[in-house]
Amino acid sequence: MEKDIIIAGFGGQGVLLAGEVLANGFMIDDKNVTWYPSYGAEMRGGTVNCTVVMSDDDVSAVQKSQADYIIVLNQASFDRFEAGVKKGGTIIVNSSLAQVKKSRDDINYISVPITQTAHDRLSNVRMSNILALGVFARVSNLVSLETLEKALNNVIPPHRKALIPKNIEALKLGYEYDLLKV
Amino acid sequence: MATQVFKIADTFRKDVKYTFCPGCDHGVAVRLVAEVLEELGLKEKAIVAAAIGCSVTIYDFLNIDALESPHGRAMAEATGIKRARPDKFVFTYQGDGDFASIGLAESMHAALRGEKISAICINNTTYGMTGGQLGPTTMVGQVTTTSPTGRNLEYYGYPIKVAEHIALCDGTAFSARVSLDTVANIRKAKQAIKKAFEVQLKGLGFGFVEILSSCPTNWKMTPEQAHDRVRNEMMQVFKPGIYKDITEKSGK
Amino acid sequence: MAVECLTGKKVLIKGNYAIAQAAVNAGCECYFGYPITPQSEIGEFMSGKMQELGRAYVSAESELAAINMVLGACSTGVKAMSSSSSCAVALMQEALSYATADELPVVLVSVMRGGPGLGNIYPSQGDYNQSTKGGGNGDYKLIVLAPSTVQECADLTYKAFYLAHKYKNPTVLLADGLLGQMMEPVEFKPYPYPEIDNSSWALTGAKGRDGRIIRSYAPLADRQCEFLEKLYDKYKKIEENETEWEELNAEDADVVLVSFGSTSRNVNSAAKLLRQKGLKVGTFRPITLFPFPNNRLAELSKSVKKFVVVEVNMGQMVNDVKLAVNGRVPVELINKGVGTPPSPEEIAAKVEELM
Repeated sequence: MEKDIIIAGFGGQGVLLAGEVLANGFMIDDKNVTWYPSYGAEMRGGTVNCTVVMSDDDVSAVQKSQADYIIVLNQASFDRFEAGVKKGGTIIVNSSLAQVKKSRDDINYISVPITQTAHDRLSNVRMSNILALGVFARVSNLVSLETLEKALNNVIPPHRKALIPKNIEALKLGYEYDLLKV
Repeated sequence: MATQVFKIADTFRKDVKYTFCPGCDHGVAVRLVAEVLEELGLKEKAIVAAAIGCSVTIYDFLNIDALESPHGRAMAEATGIKRARPDKFVFTYQGDGDFASIGLAESMHAALRGEKISAICINNTTYGMTGGQLGPTTMVGQVTTTSPTGRNLEYYGYPIKVAEHIALCDGTAFSARVSLDTVANIRKAKQAIKKAFEVQLKGLGFGFVEILSSCPTNWKMTPEQAHDRVRNEMMQVFKPGIYKDITEKSGK
Repeated sequence: MAVECLTGKKVLIKGNYAIAQAAVNAGCECYFGYPITPQSEIGEFMSGKMQELGRAYVSAESELAAINMVLGACSTGVKAMSSSSSCAVALMQEALSYATADELPVVLVSVMRGGPGLGNIYPSQGDYNQSTKGGGNGDYKLIVLAPSTVQECADLTYKAFYLAHKYKNPTVLLADGLLGQMMEPVEFKPYPYPEIDNSSWALTGAKGRDGRIIRSYAPLADRQCEFLEKLYDKYKKIEENETEWEELNAEDADVVLVSFGSTSRNVNSAAKLLRQKGLKVGTFRPITLFPFPNNRLAELSKSVKKFVVVEVNMGQMVNDVKLAVNGRVPVELINKGVGTPPSPEEIAAKVEELM
């Protein structure tokens, strides 16, 4: 089995970090995994994205133009990546910052007000990226919350360890978000 | 009883014949370097980064460890050596073309970083080994093979005053310009070289000496005429003196 | 980089950091560099780590200075390195030529980006020729190692230091922007190679011996010929001892896909797709670009009907494959000028067209 995940948003939304946490999770679960960012000049201002490929076998290719799951945290990313979801795949949309204009009927749309929830429940919109991972864990069933908690420990540097409980809270909020409401 | 008044320094290789042109001041400069190395007891810990040009042959004369550097890069090589082996005594011996033209970036930045390196730059106002072309120190009006009607400012721009520029770098501990035109000045030159070496040994920073030097072959002069030119023309523009010495409280 | 890279523990890190950490583990005493995307993380990591360990790090004024500082440090026998990318590696060619003539164990990490000129910062394999043929003057060879995974970035960095010192020859780790920027799990092993005794040539001060000269200047033509013969004897030895490659299902293959570096991952996947269709396709990946696995390719050309070279440049390694195969069977090219490699599906489709 090989699954491709793209996470996209604008600079500052923690897209690359979310990808790193997810990739660490797959590593912890003994999967083969690669993480590849958009980088360099793209880092300034515009949209940022990273591709995480998880595989039981060797990863077939590091960069993918299409993915099984695409998480978009802003409108520009929705507009750019909606077409990139594989048939039968899923797009997770941060409806706080992106309008879901469904132009396909062969993919699943999961709409969650990620930024709003982070703001209301955590008083910190910067937790949006990790909250989104919680949503992804629930929707995809590819990685457990426990694994992602361990992954956070791998990624967050020692001098920021105090932030871990808050991030775990964000993960849970995303995981437990009532998707039927939408 | 006979008294020894002159001795070839032990830092010299045995039975080496100078390959410099007759009357060239490189010979004197190399001898002074050898003597200072010996007097400071540095033979066993010295490593020289040799440059390109007439100065490269220093490793043929000195019996110390030497690395030949690409043109202009001696200061980078010296930086690498010193950083790898901070306990060694590291110096460069470069011409003005190597130090102040093709290697100016490396020279200035070594000084700015305050590398614990000593550098000797021979200024003879021309590219010697390639046959006397215009270099960074060629004087205004000077005729060379690439300034056939003389260095005019409109066309060629100004020569560089190296010792003054190096003195401006905050990492420089000592910067001086000396001349080899008289016995008295040769003695002063040796003192300056010693000082430039000592600031490294004390860990104070970059030590630098610019040596005004004759090039009778390319100047098409006799050795005496060449020293007259050093005295009457070069020393009027490239004024000998100590431009920076952080060991002197007055800091003149 | 947040993670701590202990040996024996899997960590997820970028290729650039894996290279830097491996260099530190290998005992690299000095790093000299100047930033350029997509390899700046190497210098950033080194600036902190080397200071912490009491080793040397210098932010050089240029790549020209950086590589020459490496020559200086290497002349004293220590392990030293620089890292850079395409247009800036171009600046270093003179020093690399000197380092071969001086027989200095220089290690250079070259993380390729798009060219020519300033080009762009995306992955590329456009400096295959730059590293294997050289842009410096005279007859010389660099040992060139091409990793295809982040794990190999680490392992081949170890090897680069070892081979550089074993053969006293500059050695290039040739990665690309994809490997430099991507993350993958890596397990760091301790430096696995023996330390090479440098005491017979290193510049350490002429204590109890005559001064040593490390030089390339040989004014007498005879001596230069003699030196070049000696140098090329060494290269022959390197070819005999160190040629390394990886092949998958090449023995019975009708078509063998040849690629190096990060492109090989997609090529292996493409071969898998083609095998699933019942086509007899194998893959071949030179790990050492010099020494190039000429003999093995020549051997394979007796059974293989066609070679297809896949590379992210306008066709550079393809010429070496042609030389190795020496006209026995056709050698085709699938390429892309710059960027991430063509997808496995694209490669597979093109290979089918060529079959």
